[in-house]
Amino acid sequence: MLDSKIPSGPIEHKWTERKFENKLVNPANRRKHTIIVVGTGLAGSAAAATLAEQGYRVKVFTYHESPRRAHSIAAQGGINAAKNYQNDGDSVQRLFYDTIKGGDYRSREANVYRLAEVSVNIIDQCVAQGVPFAREYGGTLTNRSFGGTQVSRTFYAKGQTGQQLLLGAYSALMRQAGDKTVEIFPRHEMLDLILSDGKARGIVTRNLKTGEITSHTADAVVLATGGYGNVFFLSTNAKASNCTASWRAYKRGAYMANPCFTQIHPTCIPVSGDHQSKLTLMSESLRNDGRVWVPKKVGDSRGPLDIPEEERDYFLERMYPAFGNLVPRDVASRAAKRMCDEGRGVGNSKLSVYLDFAESIQRMGEAKVREKYGNLFQMYEKITDENPYKVPMRIYPAVHYVMGGLWVDYNLMSNIPGLFVLGEANFSDHGANRLGASALMQGLADGYFIAPYSVGNYIGSEKMAAIKSDNDAVKSTTQAVVERLEAFKKVKGNQSAETLHRKLGKIMWDKCGMGRNEQGLKEAISQIKALKEEFWSTLWVPQDDKCLSSEIEKAGRVSDFIELGELMCVDALERKESCGGHFREEMQTPEGETLRDDENFSHVAAWEFSADKPKLHKEPLKFEFAHIAQRNYK
Amino acid sequence: MKLQLKIWRQNGPSAPGGFKDYPIDNVSPDMSFLEMLDVLNVELVKKGETPVEFDHDCREGICGSCSLMINGNAHGPETGTATCQLHMRKFKDGDTVVVEPWRAKAFPVIKDLATDRTAFDRIMAAGGFVSVNTGNAPEANSILIGHDTAESAMDSAACIGCGACVAACKNSSAMLFVSAKVSHLAQLPQGHPERAKRVRGMVTQMDKEGFGNCSNTGACEAACPKEIKLENIARLNREMMRAAFTE
Amino acid sequence: MASLKIFLKSSVGRKFLVGLTGLGLSGFVLTHMAGNMLMFVSPEAYNTYGHRLITNPLIYVAEVGLLVMFVVHMGLALKLALENKVARALAPSQNPSNCEKDARFGSRYMALTGILVLVFVVLHLITFKYGPYYPVTYNGVEMRDLHKLIIEKFKSPLYSGWYLFSMLVLFVHLAHGFSASFQSLGLFSVRQCLIKKLGWLFALIVAGGFFIQPIYGYFYGGN
Repeated sequence: MLDSKIPSGPIEHKWTERKFENKLVNPANRRKHTIIVVGTGLAGSAAAATLAEQGYRVKVFTYHESPRRAHSIAAQGGINAAKNYQNDGDSVQRLFYDTIKGGDYRSREANVYRLAEVSVNIIDQCVAQGVPFAREYGGTLTNRSFGGTQVSRTFYAKGQTGQQLLLGAYSALMRQAGDKTVEIFPRHEMLDLILSDGKARGIVTRNLKTGEITSHTADAVVLATGGYGNVFFLSTNAKASNCTASWRAYKRGAYMANPCFTQIHPTCIPVSGDHQSKLTLMSESLRNDGRVWVPKKVGDSRGPLDIPEEERDYFLERMYPAFGNLVPRDVASRAAKRMCDEGRGVGNSKLSVYLDFAESIQRMGEAKVREKYGNLFQMYEKITDENPYKVPMRIYPAVHYVMGGLWVDYNLMSNIPGLFVLGEANFSDHGANRLGASALMQGLADGYFIAPYSVGNYIGSEKMAAIKSDNDAVKSTTQAVVERLEAFKKVKGNQSAETLHRKLGKIMWDKCGMGRNEQGLKEAISQIKALKEEFWSTLWVPQDDKCLSSEIEKAGRVSDFIELGELMCVDALERKESCGGHFREEMQTPEGETLRDDENFSHVAAWEFSADKPKLHKEPLKFEFAHIAQRNYK
Repeated sequence: MKLQLKIWRQNGPSAPGGFKDYPIDNVSPDMSFLEMLDVLNVELVKKGETPVEFDHDCREGICGSCSLMINGNAHGPETGTATCQLHMRKFKDGDTVVVEPWRAKAFPVIKDLATDRTAFDRIMAAGGFVSVNTGNAPEANSILIGHDTAESAMDSAACIGCGACVAACKNSSAMLFVSAKVSHLAQLPQGHPERAKRVRGMVTQMDKEGFGNCSNTGACEAACPKEIKLENIARLNREMMRAAFTE
Repeated sequence: MASLKIFLKSSVGRKFLVGLTGLGLSGFVLTHMAGNMLMFVSPEAYNTYGHRLITNPLIYVAEVGLLVMFVVHMGLALKLALENKVARALAPSQNPSNCEKDARFGSRYMALTGILVLVFVVLHLITFKYGPYYPVTYNGVEMRDLHKLIIEKFKSPLYSGWYLFSMLVLFVHLAHGFSASFQSLGLFSVRQCLIKKLGWLFALIVAGGFFIQPIYGYFYGGN
């Protein structure tokens, strides 16, 4: 039985209560403890910097060349916080409720409340670091609104909020690196987790520059390794974003929770051809001022400017008058897909819808639109060669984020003692759908304000023997990594990992994407099994692995993606309900909205690895404080 | 489109490098430059040849990983664009395209087109921060910053740390990068208490890393994918002078 | 004091000194050019001006100051230029960056034009300061007839040609150097249009002024 270790008492007091219960470590003793942090995005950098500030010895690993290149940097639109600076009725309560509802009642209530609670501290911390958030003329902070909410609580720095927040966390990390309290290992990829006495005690890494395999030991391991959206090959994730750290932990016994919960983002630049290597997101903030439409007539092939106003269908405004263009991402994505399925899609592929700024440009002038969204418009023009100030943008949904991830308790510790999981890599806060501008909030909440307390409590309450490099677990885990790399080299086929990855992506997108059904998922599982065999019989990697070799890196990542893809389909098949981003076509309302089954599926599905068949554990979700209801954005 | 690629191949930091010719067919104008290299690499793998190594990640022009010298231009011929956002429609059928790594002593080649830019991180560790521990922060709106000041600080902070400024400069100077970082915090009240220490620390580390000196040519500004302005360098000079008379 | 030392040892501080001395030297060439313009007034005005200059006891202070500025400007600039070569680490097959083409012409050749100017200055001193002494007397005061010397020199097409060439080089050096000094001092930015134009204007006035003198000497020398 999974123990989520939620503190007792009223929801507003739970976190305060937990902080008081936590064991502390004497400042002089902290420097005797080493903590490994894997990943340097918002969660990883923030946690590493904060733990080092507290006095722990921290070792930080990233496969990037610099911590600042982690994919948090690409987040565009903003970060939510319940500051209520706009005096529009926002509160911790409301942010909590919006997030629970947005997640379609599949997230853990106590975690979400805590997230909303610490959101206000995040903004203070970031401002103090010098993050140049947008300001009013009077000098105070300004906000904009995002999907799934009716208040303006999103703080932003042009269209580069993720970049600025990450640079803030990175600067805090580099400050510690300068003080030698943090040791940074760039271009080091974690390839396995070392367990000793059932506790997480270290990792095995490959130095991507030299190919050297080394073990690193510690008293606790923090994974902040992001999401696995690249299982679909085409996603808005960075090319190197992968599931390997999480998947290796899973194979060592950590539970993987709700792996099928993926977020498909409605506003991405459509695919242009077979060569496509990744998809580019257009920030959700654009839906503040852009209007989404398709022609009313099926198969209308006129250009957008030739279609008169009365022949346009502003379908989001029509279907969801209360939230209009700002409905949550899963709702907007499915609506766009439905329009295209009806044959009303636009563009050459007929797989896109318009996002039109004509009205906003008329209302506030081109200069104002340029100030708010200039860099996004520029990015769009570079990629598509079309001027969005003149012609409406074309957008289509794409994989963007995963709500699923390693299972963690209220303290962000997985079922393996000493293994903490932060940010997108864990499953806890977003349920079946994440609201816009909440990923940055969660990453920083976990990193700055939650993990440092939880890790301290763990160190303070466990008695641990020192672990040496000649320890059996260290040696055997290192050996396993070496053998796996040898196995890739032995295949000697003729396909690159990337080619195989594309094949996996197609299966996943077709059968486990925006719409899923029993038959498709079963087919997908057998196709993935076949692909796994194909991988192990046709893969080619260079024989020299003692140097920079992206083929070897990709081989490891793709082989893990293939296994994860199968688990995602198993999970999607098991969850016979529709909720948030998980849309089982068999389960829908007459209007085509998601139809939850709270009686049978109000639980977290946590999967345990086993060689033949993954084992399902259920953590029931209790909603004591949020009123559970059918989501309604009409 | 058909292209003739001349790509720099180098096995390791100390190995000698050289150009190798790769003809490539079926290049679509809608491909990005890196997608074109992906296609080349898939072809190379089919033939059992070692693919070309190059740094890249987000492919949205924000992570700053990509770093190619294309026909002598850092990030290629288009202004205000990182290599990952450069599309093949900017080239003509039959073009010869020369692809090289960043060239600077402070950015040693790791392999082929990938270079080591960790010198930038060491410069940041020498002062590119505000010393504020988690939990120390005052209420966000207690620090008032005018709209234009915030925008101007943001313009400096937009730097993605790709190193194109160094690659474009005939002196391999890192002044545009360092000045963008210094300017971002120098313009904000949060950055003021450590103003002198910051600029001194960062400039000293920059010199130590073996970057060249600025000779005000402006090549960095022309190559910068984020269009960071030369004014930042003037501000850095000013900050440094100010720091000369502050302990 | 420690921070001043750090500043002066840093690349930024040394550039600052190059800029500052550069501006000082710019001031010198401007006054030199303006003083020379007296040759168009009359040989007497020109020679009297020269005489007053060298008989003023402050001349030694000025000369030492000028020398120091020269040495600092040159020494630091050359050291910086050598460091730049090392920092570049070009592979032999490498073409120079095309971005350099966007860089201003003058900025690419500062070291070269600087060295040429130095050669000119040395020869110039040998020719004039330490050249032949022709006496002349005005109002009972004997002084050096520099006017005669320069006309003599300008009459030679070879000398005038070299002089004109050197002034072109000076123009290129000043056109970048003058405005870049402001950037190095952190006062303005090169890209700020006004200061850039001012740099060109300054170079044009100084080099242009010097330019017309040998032409005048060659065609109308002494008549």
